[in-house]
Amino acid sequence: MTMSEVAEVLQAEVLVKGDGLLRRVGHVMASDLMSDVLLVDEEDMLLLTSLASDQVLRTAQIVGAVGVVVVNGKPLPSSMVNVANDLHMTLATSRLSKYDACVAVHAARHPL
Amino acid sequence: MNAPGSQPPVVPDDRPELGETGNDPLVLLELIQRLKVRDVMTPDLVTLPRAASMQQAQELMRQKKISGVPVEENGRFFGLVSIDDIIRALVAGTIHESCGRHMTTKLVVLEDDMPLSFALRYFDRYHYGRFPVLNRDRRLVGIICQRDINRALLVELTRELQRLESASVQRGGEGAAGSLYLLREFPICKYDFENAGKAANQIKQVLQEKQFASKVIRRIAVAAYELEINLCVHSDGGVLSWQVSSGRAEVIARDAGPGIEDVEWACRDGTSTANEWIRSLGFGAGMGLVNVRRVSDEFEIASKKGSGTTVKAVIYIEGGAA
Repeated sequence: MTMSEVAEVLQAEVLVKGDGLLRRVGHVMASDLMSDVLLVDEEDMLLLTSLASDQVLRTAQIVGAVGVVVVNGKPLPSSMVNVANDLHMTLATSRLSKYDACVAVHAARHPL
Repeated sequence: MNAPGSQPPVVPDDRPELGETGNDPLVLLELIQRLKVRDVMTPDLVTLPRAASMQQAQELMRQKKISGVPVEENGRFFGLVSIDDIIRALVAGTIHESCGRHMTTKLVVLEDDMPLSFALRYFDRYHYGRFPVLNRDRRLVGIICQRDINRALLVELTRELQRLESASVQRGGEGAAGSLYLLREFPICKYDFENAGKAANQIKQVLQEKQFASKVIRRIAVAAYELEINLCVHSDGGVLSWQVSSGRAEVIARDAGPGIEDVEWACRDGTSTANEWIRSLGFGAGMGLVNVRRVSDEFEIASKKGSGTTVKAVIYIEGGAA
């Protein structure tokens, strides 16, 4: 699935298209702990998080993530959009909870 | 504001944020963090005692072509006679009276060991033409005006340019890491989460431009990012430097305190002294140094409680674990 397709599954609003919208999402990581995100070695990873801060985007850039989706419909600080633009990082927001977002992506990749 | 010689000077609690001047050249930002007020101020002062008349002050200002005279006795600072004070004395007919009576005493002062960035913030905030500079013993040691800052920055920028020209950049072939030489330093401020991570982001972008292998880039970037966050979270501020040469990349984090009591403990999984606020930002899980060691081919840490910490991570670019 591409990041664009995942965004659709998550009913997400894409705030910054960045460089990742057409990239393939091979792995999904759901975490609010950036220290854990930095331990992951997968390059085609999508980060689902309920943490709405610039550091999420900086961490995602460091690990080469495809994009970031902030869940729970959290309002994002305007600085996040600026940082995402600077880093060419795809940024979206979804009303789904972190758990439901994981379930939705899994169901889309592995339909019953 | 505070009267000189009595209370400590006003220190803004909101430190100069790099983000506020985010479009400025980084070299300039590094300079204003690195330089101290004492490096920039004018130390050779023309002063008057309190008993001198306002007319003497006026004459001294005319002779020396200065716009203010500090009033001090034996190093103790009492106030400043400005052009405004002289005009007021002329209008009120008190020009023959003493400086001690008509000088300005409600002054904002700077300390000589403050970073230049504080001085810039003061000029921006208070719109004064000059600030007296006191040392830790509350003695008057200098005066600083905008002209001093401009002159010092020009001198330092010229030095920096000469250093950069002589140190870098000897390019090899495209992506030929063995002959490429890159060197860069970033000052990192304590709790500056607005900017934490920017240095590592820039390091990664440079490595991508130079077309290093993606796995090598990732390891260098992770080491730099973890060390940068560590400086921001745990140190009193420090410098993150990195260099690439002779088939290896070195990322070094240096700080001047507070130091680590038990280095072995600090390098274990899940051990951290971070507070809840830092954890709420997604950091402080105690994995930072562990992760730096994980991505490094060589890892060194030296620290002493009460002094500084230096962490060095080396990643081999050719034939390494990438």
